[in-house]
Amino acid sequence: MLRFTVSKVLNGAKNGPKTLTVLTRWQSDQAKKPEKIEVFIDDKSVMVEPGTTVLQAAALVGVEIPRFCYHERLAVAGNCRMCLVEVEKSPKPVAACAMPVMKGWRVKTDSEMTRKAREGVMEFLLVNHPLDCPICDQGGECDLQDQSMAFGSDRSRFVDNDFSGKRAVEDKDIGPLIKTTMTRCIHCTRCIRFASEVAGVDDLGTTGRGSDMQVGTYIEKLFLSELSGNIIDLCPVGALTSKPYSFTARPWEIRKVDSIDVLDAVGSNIVVSTRTGEVLRIMPRINEEINEEWLSDKSRFAYDGLKRQRLVTPMLRDSSGELKPVDWEAALLTVGKQIKNAGDKIGAVAGGFADAELLISVKDLLNRLGSENLCTEHVFPMDGSGTDLRSSYLLNNKIAGAEEADLVLLVGTNPRLEAPLLNSRLRKAYIHKELEVAMIGPEVDLRYEYEHLGADPNVLKNIASGSHAFAKKLKSAKRPLIIVGSDTLERPDGAAILASVQALASSASPQEKSWKVLNVLHKVASQVAALDIGYTPGVEKIRNGNLKVVFLLGADEGAITKEDLPKDCFVIYQGHHGDRGALLADAVLPGAAYTEKQATYVNTEGRAQQTLVAVTPPGRAREDWKIVRALSEVVGEKLPYDNLDEIRDRLEQVAPHLTRYGRAENANYFKQAAALAKSANLDSTPLDVKIKELKDFYMTDSISRASPTMAKCVQAALKQKEAKC
Amino acid sequence: MANYFGLSAITNFFKTISSHGGLRASLAKMYRMDSVRMGTCVGTDKYGNKYYENKSYFYGRNRWIEYAPYYALEYDGSQIPAEWFGWMHYKTDLIPSQDPSRPQYKWMTDHTENLTGTPGQYMPYSTTRPKIEAWSPTKA
Repeated sequence: MLRFTVSKVLNGAKNGPKTLTVLTRWQSDQAKKPEKIEVFIDDKSVMVEPGTTVLQAAALVGVEIPRFCYHERLAVAGNCRMCLVEVEKSPKPVAACAMPVMKGWRVKTDSEMTRKAREGVMEFLLVNHPLDCPICDQGGECDLQDQSMAFGSDRSRFVDNDFSGKRAVEDKDIGPLIKTTMTRCIHCTRCIRFASEVAGVDDLGTTGRGSDMQVGTYIEKLFLSELSGNIIDLCPVGALTSKPYSFTARPWEIRKVDSIDVLDAVGSNIVVSTRTGEVLRIMPRINEEINEEWLSDKSRFAYDGLKRQRLVTPMLRDSSGELKPVDWEAALLTVGKQIKNAGDKIGAVAGGFADAELLISVKDLLNRLGSENLCTEHVFPMDGSGTDLRSSYLLNNKIAGAEEADLVLLVGTNPRLEAPLLNSRLRKAYIHKELEVAMIGPEVDLRYEYEHLGADPNVLKNIASGSHAFAKKLKSAKRPLIIVGSDTLERPDGAAILASVQALASSASPQEKSWKVLNVLHKVASQVAALDIGYTPGVEKIRNGNLKVVFLLGADEGAITKEDLPKDCFVIYQGHHGDRGALLADAVLPGAAYTEKQATYVNTEGRAQQTLVAVTPPGRAREDWKIVRALSEVVGEKLPYDNLDEIRDRLEQVAPHLTRYGRAENANYFKQAAALAKSANLDSTPLDVKIKELKDFYMTDSISRASPTMAKCVQAALKQKEAKC
Repeated sequence: MANYFGLSAITNFFKTISSHGGLRASLAKMYRMDSVRMGTCVGTDKYGNKYYENKSYFYGRNRWIEYAPYYALEYDGSQIPAEWFGWMHYKTDLIPSQDPSRPQYKWMTDHTENLTGTPGQYMPYSTTRPKIEAWSPTKA
């Protein structure tokens, strides 16, 4: 199909309208902006840059031109013809989305000709669109419905009352997440463009022409991508709808709550849709700094994991060794007694879903008891400056900043599956700005080409010393980025890798002073907040402390096992899912999941964001910090906060950035960190990542492991893989 | 004469007390049934409930039941079996044993009292899927 629009061809495919919007930030440092030209939209004058399309110019004065195929984050297709508008002195109406404005044009978006053109287009679309709105999942949030009301003709010329039949198209099976009803398709090709441009999976396309045109995968194939769910949002009609959400609810019955996703460290902004105390679906919320308007499949579809395997009541292990439900009073008294007896022989391990409020309250409690054994499940090297300098453990250049890089070195990370939305940024830069990507680590599929420098960590040393060919590129790059995966830093020689990466980063010479080369990509949502608050990464302290009580805060990744602890050690598990952690526990305290509490999370860039309460915690589960607060009173070390404001004041005392929601504080001590880093010998074992393929991506934490949808995705990914070989 | 001066009330009072077997027994009856009435026992059902009639009371108050002693204070109207229901509610003046028109089939089930509020009560169960499935621990 036609990928290059008229305007793109006219301008030598260089500054087409879309590339222009994408490039604006990058071009800002280039000298001389072209002169602005004046156009008139409905007789309102507006000054725009040359190359702006009619549709964009109209948007500047607040006139929204109806469209189906045009999407601001995708290439212009110009095939739905809904955006036709009249331009004075032009004999035919013009497709606003593809036509760049010329000087002095007078565009009429509400003239007789424009309205007639829209009515005509609408009529042609509806000739072959089924009248199944009452059973269509898109009903109520359908562009076609809305626009036929607003711009369609007020009477029908449909005369096929004896029903000779509308166009019918066979449905496609494109996976466990997306339900297709291809008869409803209006061929806007948004899904095709998204798949090839953003997701990088060029599986979707069209076959046939005219009324025989079909959108599909050519051969029978599943559309498997870590971003596949976004084509549901993109589809303007009900052709692509969510399979897990099908026939569940109508948009007007739903209560929507803005929240934050915690299934990866990106901290995507989401909208949680609920009805009758049940999470029905999760959709992305626009945040240009983080997730634009996309969302990864795990974040979008793992919500059914929130309804299964839940801890709904406190439990205690009885004399026969079985966990038995008890009430809160008994649980707190037993746990409190154990903590009192333990004295300072107590430790805590924070898992991937622990929020900042919980982390601070547990730290305060344990500090009052005289213990400093506060650990995170995920390891981070503590040699040199360790976690004292924030710049050593943040994605310093921010997620949006990745778009502007011209050279990216990935060290032992698979951003496609560890942080799909960061990878989509990198891919965008790769496509639109000729970003070069190099990778040290396993050869994984990132959906764009990269230079593979091998998996040996000693390559880092060679680049630093200048003996590697890549060293030259890094030196000459204007906006280089080095992204280190947290998997890599969990290795025994993680400190040496971090030191050599720090050295490498300081040897690069970015053009701008504020450009930050060193970036660490975390995998879990709690890690940055835990390090900010002062938790020690890694569970060494727990293993060696000979502890009497261990407090697991949703630690389910198996960093601590029964064998690591003394025999008489009392294990308390506080969390929301019955997983590996709860099996170890002698006492289970049911907490709230991220949709059930107002809590602070800090993403890998160091941006504090808060989730809001969408549903109440199930059964006797309670908000996490409140449990710790209640426990502190039983123990006799009452914590001095009684409500959310007070605990957030406490957070602010410890680290002020934790309550500055939406902002990412810069961290700037790269030189000091590099100077403090001790050079140690690098292991020669090749760098590896845990999540290599799509099948590893879906089930990585206690929520997604409990999700049937994610299990189906794993099955589908395995099936697809078998079919290929 | 005695009737005219209301003396019959006094004689009835003493007659009633003596028919129940003294003051203690009458007080006990009063405590259990909130009234002490004199009447003729017309029949007993298989559960041990006794049915009384005294035509000198006005219509609606002249038939009553004395529940079997093992009900103690936990008696209620649903303990009257179906065959006595008609007589108790003045649908018929014939007690079950005198009524030839009552069919007796062997497939007829026993009477059950209303079990609401007791462990035997009927509890409808939900057939809908629970919104949240709780984790059940397996022995570690």
